[in-house]
Amino acid sequence: MTSPSGRTTVISQTVARIVVPIILVTAIALLFRGHNLPGGGFIGAVLAAVAFALVYVIFGLDFIQREILDISPDGSERHRLVENYRWMASLGLAIAVGSSLVPLVFDFPFLTQGVLFLEHLPLYGELEVASAFAFDLGVFFAVVGGLLTIVAEVGNE
Amino acid sequence: MFEEEPNRERSPSSLPFCLTTPKSALPTISGVQPTPEVVLAVVFLPFLAAAFTPAVYRLLGERTAYFAAAVALVTLGLVTDQYLAGAHGTVSFDWIPSLGISLAFYVDGLALLIAFLASGVGVLILTYSGGYMHGEPGQAKYYATLLAFMGSMLGVALAGDLVALFVFWELTSLSSFILIGHYTSEEASQYAARKSMLITVSGGLFMLVGFVLLVWASGQTTAIEGTTYSIPLLVEHADAIREVLMASALFVPVLALVGLGAATKSAQVPFHVWLPNAMEAPTPVSAFLHSATMVKAGVYLVGRFRPLFLPEEAAVLGDWTLIFAVLGLLTMTVAAILAVSATDIKELLAYSTASHLGLIIGAFGFANSYGAEAGAFHILNHASFKAALFLVAGIIAHEAGTRKIEKLGGLRKHLPVTGAIAVVASLSMAGLPPFNGFYSKELLFEATYYAAKDAGGIAWLFPVVAVFGSVFTFLYSIKFASLFFGDEPDELGHVHRPPVAMLVPPAILGVLVLAISAAPNVFIEALIGDVYGSVVPGEAHSFSVHFPTELTPYVLMSIVTIAVGAISFPFYDRIHDAINAVLRGPVRANWWYDNFVEGLTDTSVVVTPKIQTGLLRTYATWGLFGFVALALGGYAAAGVSMPAIDGLSVSLPIVLVLLVALVAAFAVDIAPSHVAGVLTLSIVGFMVAIFYIAADAPDLALTQLTVETLVLVIFLLVLDRLPAFYGDAPDRFVSLRDGVLSVAVGATVFLTVLFSTDASPNPLLKEFFIARAGVPAEHGPLFTDFGGGSNIVNVILVDFRGFDTMGEISVVVMASLAILTLIRMRGQGESQ
Repeated sequence: MTSPSGRTTVISQTVARIVVPIILVTAIALLFRGHNLPGGGFIGAVLAAVAFALVYVIFGLDFIQREILDISPDGSERHRLVENYRWMASLGLAIAVGSSLVPLVFDFPFLTQGVLFLEHLPLYGELEVASAFAFDLGVFFAVVGGLLTIVAEVGNE
Repeated sequence: MFEEEPNRERSPSSLPFCLTTPKSALPTISGVQPTPEVVLAVVFLPFLAAAFTPAVYRLLGERTAYFAAAVALVTLGLVTDQYLAGAHGTVSFDWIPSLGISLAFYVDGLALLIAFLASGVGVLILTYSGGYMHGEPGQAKYYATLLAFMGSMLGVALAGDLVALFVFWELTSLSSFILIGHYTSEEASQYAARKSMLITVSGGLFMLVGFVLLVWASGQTTAIEGTTYSIPLLVEHADAIREVLMASALFVPVLALVGLGAATKSAQVPFHVWLPNAMEAPTPVSAFLHSATMVKAGVYLVGRFRPLFLPEEAAVLGDWTLIFAVLGLLTMTVAAILAVSATDIKELLAYSTASHLGLIIGAFGFANSYGAEAGAFHILNHASFKAALFLVAGIIAHEAGTRKIEKLGGLRKHLPVTGAIAVVASLSMAGLPPFNGFYSKELLFEATYYAAKDAGGIAWLFPVVAVFGSVFTFLYSIKFASLFFGDEPDELGHVHRPPVAMLVPPAILGVLVLAISAAPNVFIEALIGDVYGSVVPGEAHSFSVHFPTELTPYVLMSIVTIAVGAISFPFYDRIHDAINAVLRGPVRANWWYDNFVEGLTDTSVVVTPKIQTGLLRTYATWGLFGFVALALGGYAAAGVSMPAIDGLSVSLPIVLVLLVALVAAFAVDIAPSHVAGVLTLSIVGFMVAIFYIAADAPDLALTQLTVETLVLVIFLLVLDRLPAFYGDAPDRFVSLRDGVLSVAVGATVFLTVLFSTDASPNPLLKEFFIARAGVPAEHGPLFTDFGGGSNIVNVILVDFRGFDTMGEISVVVMASLAILTLIRMRGQGESQ
């Protein structure tokens, strides 16, 4: 993609600077509250991918590498970011599968999800810990990684 | 001189159907239960050794042959252990308990005989390979595959479950494919490997259909509880199964399907064409797979299912006899004629193998007891003399450097021991007394004679064809033996002495031939009697054979065979040329095979560019067209009727939102540029999201919103690569086609939504989700049977239907990898 940063306006760049962090925080919030309120791993992941895609559109593909990861953006290095996304997707799958295998250790069927209530915690009092969250986290990373791989690779062209 | 042969008679009894001496009445289950660990070790030890073979090859190099032979020897020991213990029965291990499929092994006479052949001949073949394969490429692969084959063959022999039998069956085809194609760069090997794979594997698939029908039949009868895959159980309730099959007119189809599996594997006419080509494999492989064991799998199958399909008081010319006796005798004759036309010693032996397998299948085809006796005995006899002959052929090819019959002769001087083995084995193959091949052939003649006598009329063709085919068997057998006599042709170069490792295995087999010939009843008593018991329905008894002392019709048949063979042998070359002159074009089964396969290839070459244009729009058009046709066809076939729409009450906000979506949808169609198209499309998407909010589905709405946003952003990312405006309007036909297609797709989706929402799921499901999703009223600190979340949608996604979600995220990751690969490799041609 020919550097679109030359063609985007200051207004859009400023808006993006403010909006992208908000989107990311919202995405993570959606992931966390998914068990009890509308949200969840998949929705959070798509929203996070939107944030990254917005950065690509407004600042160009090299921005993330140059400014955040501090990688010199010559042609061959571009693939490195895609590799990272790919690893993220694999990591997500690994978390999802790994967390589903845990119940086997305790003699439950594959993919059994448990809920643990921790009580008498400082500040929180009672906290509900659902093992399904680990699975959801896997979903989140798999989808973010997968989508960003596609976006970055298509954008590279 | 042959007329002066002593008369023969086989048994003192005078009743035509009780000529065999009932030695001992074997109960259906005799002896002890097989030891599960030993049976399991018999089948899986070779596989385990195969896995370690590449590592062993690094250590031992060419001496891996003796490692493999040692493994085979251990397996043989384990089989012997079960034999000596008198094992008889089933051992079963859970495999897929939810479907009633188990890894069951059934040990009986037939299973033990085939297991003895697979492991015993295996020891000899692997030892022989140590000499034969000296300096050959790909030895690690060769020994690993041979061991894996041995395991598969033992699996076939011992399988007591239809699915296990099928799996091992196809594994033998697979290892045969690898071994035939051992010389991977030779075109002839590739052709031969493909041919054997195509024929035997497709035959196996027909057999699988037959098995499925058998399992279905087991579910229909009250004699068996539920359905069963167990072979001994099916055989035990043979009458009930046959009744079900007869009642639903499936008896002959099932026979034909199972028969196809046997016929392709055992190279029966017209599927015999793969066997001569399979001789491209190294000779030890030919001796092992393509004469002694793998091709016996088809024979084994016929024997195994004989008591299931053939009732105790069967008609003389029942369906079973009409299919298998005719198939077997036809193959026996045709393949024997082809063997005479062969110009290469391995080709001769290949056709001869098909011919003898035909003899066994034909013998099993007869309903009388002689048929079963002949088949059971000939399995052992054929393995003994044919494996010996193949190893002899390997020695000739290896030491004389040629396999052409016309270039060979007078080998006796150079290969005296080999010659002695060849003569003994050839005479046995010819069916000459007093060798073992004679006894089993006599039993076959007896079976054909009594079948003809009882049925009369056209059934007299059975003995006539049997004698006619045997004459050719006699001819090619003597021809093979004659390679060692007479003058040496000028072309024959220096003949080397074979190494000991190559001489001992055929010598052992030759001694075995002599041993069986000298004391046939010892072997029958020890093993073949039990095999006979496995292939007949009801109570089984052992039998014995005697050298004939009286002139009976079937003894006359042998005399005629030998006399005609001896008279016509001086004209062998003329017969050979005459057969080759006739065998041209469509007369050869090969012509059909080659034209069929070539026709398929040519059709693919013509059709592929039309289907695979490489243009996305072609794939989209046909993909969508197929989707519409299948979906609508499915609805029509299922007879779905339009659901009645009643109580359609939509609130005003929803109507407004949908109206905006409708207008936006029209705007998409008339949008002049991509930007306008993408933006209007987004309007439709966002309206749908708002509709979800209005319909109280916040999770759906959130997902729709974020996905819609992402799609829009991705579009913006690629937009500057696309032309700003659409090109010229396509021609009228294309516009019309696209229009029709889009309307059809829309209508299909509309109907699908109507139908699927009409069939609301079981309300129990909803209640279950509602009850189980949240935190239970009474709970301890840890629980697993409740979701523990108040968002039911998400609890369903990650807990109740977690498996689906895992599949979906795998698809997302896979799709991204696929896109990555497609884009990165776009610049590269197919050559990379």
